[in-house]
Amino acid sequence: MSSVFPLRFRRLSESSLVFANEAGQFFKSNDRFLERLDNEKLTKSDQEFLFDHAMASRRAGDINEMSYLHRLASRLRPPTDLSYVILVPTLRCDLACSYCQVSRAAINAKGFDWSDETLLNVKSYLSKSVSKRIQVEFQGGEPTLRLDLMSQIMDFCREHFEESRFIICTNLSVVNEAFVDIISAEDVFVSSSLDGSPDLHRKQRTNTKSQTDEFFKNFSRVGELIGDRLSALPTLDSKNLPAPSDFLDTFDHYNMRSVFLRPVVYHGFARKRHPTSKDHQSVWQKFYEACIYEMIARNIGETSDFYEEYYLTLILKRLLRPGEDNHIDLRSPNWLGYDHQLIDYDGRIYPSDEARMMARTGQVDLSIGDVFAGLDEEKRGALQGRAFNALDPWCSQCPYQAACGSDPIDDLARHGRADVPKPATAYCQKHLHIFDFAMKLIYSEDKKNQHSLALWLGLPSPIFLGDVLQ
Amino acid sequence: MIELSLPANFSDSSHLPFIAKLSRIDGHQTATLVGEIGDELMFQFQDLTISIVQPVGEDIIGDIVFVEPAYNRVSRWIRERSDHNTLLVTERCDQLCIMCSQPPKKSHIDMFTFMEQACMLAPQNMMIGFSGGEPLLYKEQLFALLEKVHTVRPDLKFHVLTNAQHFEEDDVERLRQTAFKSVLWGVPLYASDPSTHDSIVGKIGAFEQLVTSLPIMARAGLQIELRSVLLKQNYHEFEQLSRFISSKLPFVSVWAIMQLERIGFAKNRWFEQFVDHSENSEPLMAAVSVAKSVGLDISLYNIPYCTVPQKLRGFLSQSISDWKRSFPADCEKCSVKSICTGFFEWHSTLEDYKYGGVI
Repeated sequence: MSSVFPLRFRRLSESSLVFANEAGQFFKSNDRFLERLDNEKLTKSDQEFLFDHAMASRRAGDINEMSYLHRLASRLRPPTDLSYVILVPTLRCDLACSYCQVSRAAINAKGFDWSDETLLNVKSYLSKSVSKRIQVEFQGGEPTLRLDLMSQIMDFCREHFEESRFIICTNLSVVNEAFVDIISAEDVFVSSSLDGSPDLHRKQRTNTKSQTDEFFKNFSRVGELIGDRLSALPTLDSKNLPAPSDFLDTFDHYNMRSVFLRPVVYHGFARKRHPTSKDHQSVWQKFYEACIYEMIARNIGETSDFYEEYYLTLILKRLLRPGEDNHIDLRSPNWLGYDHQLIDYDGRIYPSDEARMMARTGQVDLSIGDVFAGLDEEKRGALQGRAFNALDPWCSQCPYQAACGSDPIDDLARHGRADVPKPATAYCQKHLHIFDFAMKLIYSEDKKNQHSLALWLGLPSPIFLGDVLQ
Repeated sequence: MIELSLPANFSDSSHLPFIAKLSRIDGHQTATLVGEIGDELMFQFQDLTISIVQPVGEDIIGDIVFVEPAYNRVSRWIRERSDHNTLLVTERCDQLCIMCSQPPKKSHIDMFTFMEQACMLAPQNMMIGFSGGEPLLYKEQLFALLEKVHTVRPDLKFHVLTNAQHFEEDDVERLRQTAFKSVLWGVPLYASDPSTHDSIVGKIGAFEQLVTSLPIMARAGLQIELRSVLLKQNYHEFEQLSRFISSKLPFVSVWAIMQLERIGFAKNRWFEQFVDHSENSEPLMAAVSVAKSVGLDISLYNIPYCTVPQKLRGFLSQSISDWKRSFPADCEKCSVKSICTGFFEWHSTLEDYKYGGVI
């Protein structure tokens, strides 16, 4: 007789359910197995299946118990030192996008840039908080309005840390020689926004034809200069979605086949101008799946340059690989304000980009200190209570809990409080959809799907990724 | 091939054996260079004069050597410029693997004192291997050596190749100490079917013992490198082995899949043991894919670059030790020679592989 590590389950279809334990090991089975499990009447072959797949142990300290505990522990990383910093050297911007996520300041506004004193304190704060490696993301506003500040931070980091990496998030409306000079360094990456076809991009962002043309000209030029150090994120409006095929064509045109599909986020200015965006989930989900299937259809044949959706690949890795926890929107425990922080134009420190948006729109002040006085440990500590999804009464029943994450700041931003029942949150709904969809692909017998899964996970050949108990 | 054992002449052949570092300048436990006549180097160690003919194209200065005047021999235990230094703990073994590259012997000479001295003299940050036979037949001495060296030389790393038959519950507390954080334990596992594994290692119950030992090692927080050799005897079960490792052994640090070495027992049994992965790469591809899907680190050892499909090439490792690595003449024209692991000196040929050749 063996003891089974506790299982949670969820229906995948009329005839199938997914079962998983807290360490994230999963398999597909049916209602008959659920009944046997419920009545504690597992057959010999049920028990053998569970033992062979290391989901039950025969005695304390045996190999299966060790593997279960190890997986569990790998998913519970302790907090680490600050290593990912978003810096906002200025809040000013030269565009006025309809769904801007931050409260931007006008191009000529005063008092929205780092002062000399702020810059000095940012440097000393970083040297105290970062140990060896740093990744800096410059955000805005439009950070390229202050190339001088960016340069100084880059020089400082390269000198002080063993390894530095910089990402400039820019609208690319202006590309001058000083900018070209900065991005020529191999440790500098450029992330821009590309919403799809020029027409769509103009409607959502650049407004005029001349600004749109200028953006596409700059985008191509930077692509030629730095190759795959340039990436682009689309922001998609579920009221105005492109055809998946046209959308992928645009990205393919710029050699970008790895795309991060995100709908407009219900934050900041976007919240005021697009009040219906939270009701468009099913429209969005349909579009999302259509895009993935279009990618799969294009991935046929041997190719090293394949299409993938960044977040789906991340979800697949989280399902299959304990310890894959580098993405701060999808991890638990989500140690807020530890390894990842944002330093705003005024020197205030936030646990994430979203947290500063809420402060700017006056919802709630989630700052956890500033670069002058340092961290406010008490405020940071207060955020941890809901950062651990295993302690949530809803999540702890969900088979995807181990692979999923927790984002109390997102819950706060969208629902005004962090203790809404999980199934009612946008975070939960979005993730349940992607996890269910990932399961559908994992258990699909269609060779095309299996081929793409292998590409996304870096496998030499397609294999069965999910076990089935008949 | 790099010579590890060099003939030497001594001013006093009755001098007892010792460990010394060959050096140009006088220092702690050095045999100091005092003269050069052509290829012949003269060293002074206390009152003893040693003369060694330096092998062509090699530099032995800096090496840590085991000197045996009575046998007119100097053995290069730790070569300063090599990443492949291994000390032989014993030639005894309690398994008898059908393809053993270093067939065991009954006799044992205790060299722990010399090995400890050699480690103390090793260059900064070096990784030193311990092999056998089965090193853990002398568990107490080996653990003590690792602990002692660590207190003086915390910069050193170790690799111990062991069949893991001798870890016990009582070892856990001791192995949790920091000294053992510097050790990577190489443990062979040849099949997930107990009878296949047992018949390959020549010991009934070996698999069962492994399955008991591995969680003990994990509980002690040891770093484990699993090693599996490709053989006719297990190749068809390789995907199954990978599934076993992927589901039950998430705590291993790396899985090394190794092609057979034509030496030792494998030499005379080559055709009943060697399996040509280039002819049928399916089991290898599937095994790598399964392990990769769960995020396990995989390394393919002793596999020439040209003999595997493109998709497996990213997993290849330059595993063949420098002193036994060689290339057949044709490879001179190959564009990827510098990243290829090559061949074992004693069997440097592509003839075993159906597919492969200059790229």
